[in-house]
Amino acid sequence: MNTAERAHAIAGACRHFRHLLGSVTADDFLDWLRLELGHDAVLDAFQPIGGQSLRAIPPSVILHIVSGNTPHAALQSLIRGLLLGSHNLCKLPAAGLPEAEAFAAALPDALRSRIEFSSALPDAWLPSADAVVVFGSDETIAHFRALAQPRQRFIGYGHRISLGIVFEDAAFESPPFAARDASLFDQQGCLSPHCIYVADRPEDYAARLAAEMESIQQSHPRAALTLSEAAAISQLRETTRFRAAIGQQVRLWERADAWAVIYDSDPAFSASVLNRVIFVRPLPADPAAALASARPFLSTIGIWPNTSSNATHAAALGASRICALGSMQDPAWTWRQDGNQTLAPLVTWTGWENQPPQRVS
Amino acid sequence: MTTAYQFEELEHRVSAAIAAADPAVFDALALDVFRFQRAFNFPYDQYCRLLGVIDDLADWRQIPAVPQAAFKHAALRTFDAKAQVATFRTSGTTGEGYGQHHFRSMRLYEEAVLRGWDLLALPPLPQIILIPTPAAAPHSSLSYMMGALKARAFRGEQHWCIAPDGSLDLNRLKSLLENFATVNTPVLILGTALAFLHLFESIQLLTLPAGSLAFETGGYKGSGRSLSKEALYQMFRDRLALAPSDIINEYGMTELSSQCYSRGLGRPHVAPPWVRTVVTNPTTGLEVPDGETGLLRIYDLANLGSVLAIQTRDLAIRRGADFELLGRDPAALPRGCSRAADEMLTASS
Repeated sequence: MNTAERAHAIAGACRHFRHLLGSVTADDFLDWLRLELGHDAVLDAFQPIGGQSLRAIPPSVILHIVSGNTPHAALQSLIRGLLLGSHNLCKLPAAGLPEAEAFAAALPDALRSRIEFSSALPDAWLPSADAVVVFGSDETIAHFRALAQPRQRFIGYGHRISLGIVFEDAAFESPPFAARDASLFDQQGCLSPHCIYVADRPEDYAARLAAEMESIQQSHPRAALTLSEAAAISQLRETTRFRAAIGQQVRLWERADAWAVIYDSDPAFSASVLNRVIFVRPLPADPAAALASARPFLSTIGIWPNTSSNATHAAALGASRICALGSMQDPAWTWRQDGNQTLAPLVTWTGWENQPPQRVS
Repeated sequence: MTTAYQFEELEHRVSAAIAAADPAVFDALALDVFRFQRAFNFPYDQYCRLLGVIDDLADWRQIPAVPQAAFKHAALRTFDAKAQVATFRTSGTTGEGYGQHHFRSMRLYEEAVLRGWDLLALPPLPQIILIPTPAAAPHSSLSYMMGALKARAFRGEQHWCIAPDGSLDLNRLKSLLENFATVNTPVLILGTALAFLHLFESIQLLTLPAGSLAFETGGYKGSGRSLSKEALYQMFRDRLALAPSDIINEYGMTELSSQCYSRGLGRPHVAPPWVRTVVTNPTTGLEVPDGETGLLRIYDLANLGSVLAIQTRDLAIRRGADFELLGRDPAALPRGCSRAADEMLTASS
């Protein structure tokens, strides 16, 4: 299969996974290749790029180590490997990842045969890979980075922090969008907001957000929690209640087995315990100081309204991706994940200098 | 009545309960301590009011527990700040600040440490301590506790092996152990799990004199390390030739005044008679049935100067009146019939 054929086949399978992957066409994939590699057929043959003749060589084998929390991230990683034409070894979490296996089943045979799954890591997999892509905690990434050989390309996607900023919303139009971002995937993804910073009337905003969280709970209930997750939420909830009792400017809206919104007048960022627990804080005059602890890990900032001046403010905070509130979970295929391209770092290049030899004088 | 008078009157009663190790007095005394704390611990009273809890409760189980993190947000004390004699601090993680536990008197704290220790029925041994001295760590409850245990050391003999910079003084430790081996005197070696781990990484085998024991506490918080209790105890066997039954684990925390202990592997932690533990469902707050897992809540009469009831962040399995500690790590949860019971985050957490 050439690149265009692969793009069509993958897009065909993606149609069954719109809830995880959004709408995507073969043309979107070809645009992506043009953007990152300079030409959509550069994987198939030499192409003239920037006055040179270049061909991109994909890794023969990519090992993907994916996490169970975020099936869409696993699918995106597999799609990158398939689009490049690599063979893909996919180490699933111990509990499996039904979405990834269902996606493979939706592919035509020629592509399906380029994916292998295993819940344990077979001994032969790591040495056979040309590229290793790992999703997980810092510890997981450090573990595999130490195991990888110098010849292997290593890409680690660590845990990130995302948040929302409402610069202006007098009519409170954005809470349904913020609630969607905070509820999708039960906040497990690196694109899920921990906190919404609100410039005007943040406490009133929190009340509106709470109503929207409940409305999403009605249509899309939160998944069951582990005891550990429930314990973390319970401690935060009771601590918030305690802080409110002693007169601190905090307020809690909750449904005990579903979601919680915590208004906290202290603008200093603190990470959520996740699973639909979202902070609302006032947007301070110096957001960079309030976000100091989060900035090294910042991924996406969802902004409202989505204007270029607000985007410039968000960019100054160190976000690698800025989008409208409500679209935080739907990155474009061409997005720079963690600030980097996603296809280009996987390929190597062959350059053909197709000029006649200079005369030997 | 003044707070000082009531404090001293209750201190006397709790002291007697600790001395007698009599579980029968707990119920009534807990309700009296609760009423006292509501009257004189203003932040706690505010919390109880917000929860709609009345003053006159019929059962100690109805006493509201403050979340452990509350100690980071308020000075939870039943006395005037001027009367304060000591403050212990939690280690605190980045950005969260640290919790503070204030004391008007160290009497109940010390009595609880010593009486709780006596209930373990250990022989008095020279103590080798892998924990900073109270002088080096004046706000560490664990260091203070180690200092108090001098009263239970053989001839009051304590040897501290943490250098002023916080590192393990390995040369001193080795020479001490060699000396004790020469005279064939068993020792008690006390430390945090992390200190023992550092020790085990620096030695091959140090054989302790027969009859020696170890005391370990705490987890690996902030160190980036984690190890199951089974793996740690295997290292005790490999590096110090100590069997699991020679090892005592302490579960305590800065926010409490008393300690719970387990000995060896596969045994629950036992609270002393002046402490009750309850395991609750984190979502409903209700007590779980025997054998089931939930969040550990502790009622400690010796916490007279602060708050009797503490809601911890630790998961545990209810074992009758005792509990089997799982800690905070999700990986420590039982899966099927195999269990990796990581011992996590206990003392000074």
